Amino acid sequence: MPQPVQYRGMTLIVPDNDSEWTEFYAHARAHRLVVRKCTACGLMRYPPTHACPWCMELEWTWQELSARGTIYSYEIVHHAIQPGFRELTPYPVVLVELDEQRGQPTPDEALRIIGNLVKPDLTPEAEANVAIGRRVRVIFQDLADHMALPQFTLADEPAPARVWRLPE
Amino acid sequence: MKTLRDQYCVVGVGETEYSRASGRTTRAMAVEAIRRAILDAGLTARDVDGMLDYQGGDSTLANHVAPDLGIRLNFYMDVMGGGSSTEALIGLAMGAIEAGMCNTVAIYRSMNGYSEFRIGGTGARAAQPVRGLDLAQVPFGMRSAGQNFALTFMRHMYEYGTTSAQVARVKVAHSRHASQNPKALLKERVTVEDVVGSRWIVKPLHLLDCCLETDNATCLIVTSAERARDLKRRPVYIMGVAGRVSKPRLDFHWAHGPITRVAGYYAKDIVFGQAGIGPEDVDVTGSYDAFTFTTLLQLEEYGFCKKGEGGQYVSSGIIELGGGRPNNTSGGHLCEGYTHGMSMVIENVRQLRGTVDDYCPRAAEGVHTYDYSPGRCRQVKDAEITMNLGWAVPPTGSALILRR
Repeated sequence: MPQPVQYRGMTLIVPDNDSEWTEFYAHARAHRLVVRKCTACGLMRYPPTHACPWCMELEWTWQELSARGTIYSYEIVHHAIQPGFRELTPYPVVLVELDEQRGQPTPDEALRIIGNLVKPDLTPEAEANVAIGRRVRVIFQDLADHMALPQFTLADEPAPARVWRLPE
Repeated sequence: MKTLRDQYCVVGVGETEYSRASGRTTRAMAVEAIRRAILDAGLTARDVDGMLDYQGGDSTLANHVAPDLGIRLNFYMDVMGGGSSTEALIGLAMGAIEAGMCNTVAIYRSMNGYSEFRIGGTGARAAQPVRGLDLAQVPFGMRSAGQNFALTFMRHMYEYGTTSAQVARVKVAHSRHASQNPKALLKERVTVEDVVGSRWIVKPLHLLDCCLETDNATCLIVTSAERARDLKRRPVYIMGVAGRVSKPRLDFHWAHGPITRVAGYYAKDIVFGQAGIGPEDVDVTGSYDAFTFTTLLQLEEYGFCKKGEGGQYVSSGIIELGGGRPNNTSGGHLCEGYTHGMSMVIENVRQLRGTVDDYCPRAAEGVHTYDYSPGRCRQVKDAEITMNLGWAVPPTGSALILRR
């Protein structure tokens, strides 16, 4: 089994039999964002799972994405639960809707992914810059030889829709 | 839709004190709560032959608790889970009795939710390695219930214009109710300014938008309406129940949109269909208030107001004692104490009996003043139908409709 990864006081474990995450992180370590794509109906899904939630097919392939998207929702953590995050507060967690497969197979569906919104140096983005509707791109945070976390950073692109943040 | 409407009853309720330092085991607390519920029903240990409980690796199982009380079981099961389990297990108890497996079921939850196993991933839960499904969230500093749900609450504010001040009215209402509840941990009434002025936990949640981790045990007894007729208490009839109804992709609630839609969207037709009533017929609601926002989202989804209008609904006064449809008359998880939902069902049973344990001197006899000023009465006059809206996570919930 690959060595567990220590990150902010947490032990991250991806056992050899955990095929859903092992390959995802290997791609991430090569700075590629991939999701599983059903070979039958062609729909993609995240997080990685073993059957297609739309047609129950078991066969799939990895599909690389553009790794760009729009902030769908966010939160700002002021009271950290995990001790390793206390020095980062207040830090943003964002839910990003990726550009691929938006509104499919129903108008409410999309590929959504959780990450932190960070500056290019991987420190938390300032709260005043965090808003629903802002454009972002993936930036990879290398943790070990076999693991990197996909994070998000602001993209210099016009917002496609209304930009909103919690009033002060 | 199949229905067992009015064929089963809640006949006994009981609990230990709510505290943050019980100083005893979950086994000791469970025994006390179950004993109180059995005595409340006018039953003996010999009359109880079924047992159900729920827990998250933090409690004592039925096979240790039942023998302590001299109960011999024909059916028992320990279920993993927290919020929304109470209503689901009431439905399972009905099913077990209907199948002829047993006659009378005690359902309990016992937890040292503050002094031993805290909910949010601190204490004993903090050291667990992160693996499997948790890898999609936890490495990003998203672990506790508040951190898990805040994305949904924030999106609701964006989509519908819901404000912090509107949502704060849930806490204000429940704090007023708690001021009439001798058992409540927080009896002090708070204002909207108190809530929005309290420190941030995870935006958009302030400290006072969050419930109270608590040590306690709770229990209720379910049996058939036929058996209930011989008992000393007025039975409370089960009109409808929905258990752990889920959205698609319930593993990650943010994967399936719209994320502001919660499980009640799917549960309402089941529970109202069985009961043969609609939201307008309900006199009292008990909506799981792990956070102020959870109450608002559920009231919307079950049709007590239109989707998106929860902010106006909870700030209209209707959810307060003296209003048209009070919610969480005990003070709920925000003020009475956190019990993973069972306390709100117990409260509604007492409301329907007319014997809520407020400060009225003859409350136990059903004599109340209906004076809702602090330190007085919290009985709703002539409550006939109550509803519980149980919440586990945004994509999973349960519901229960009771009548007197």
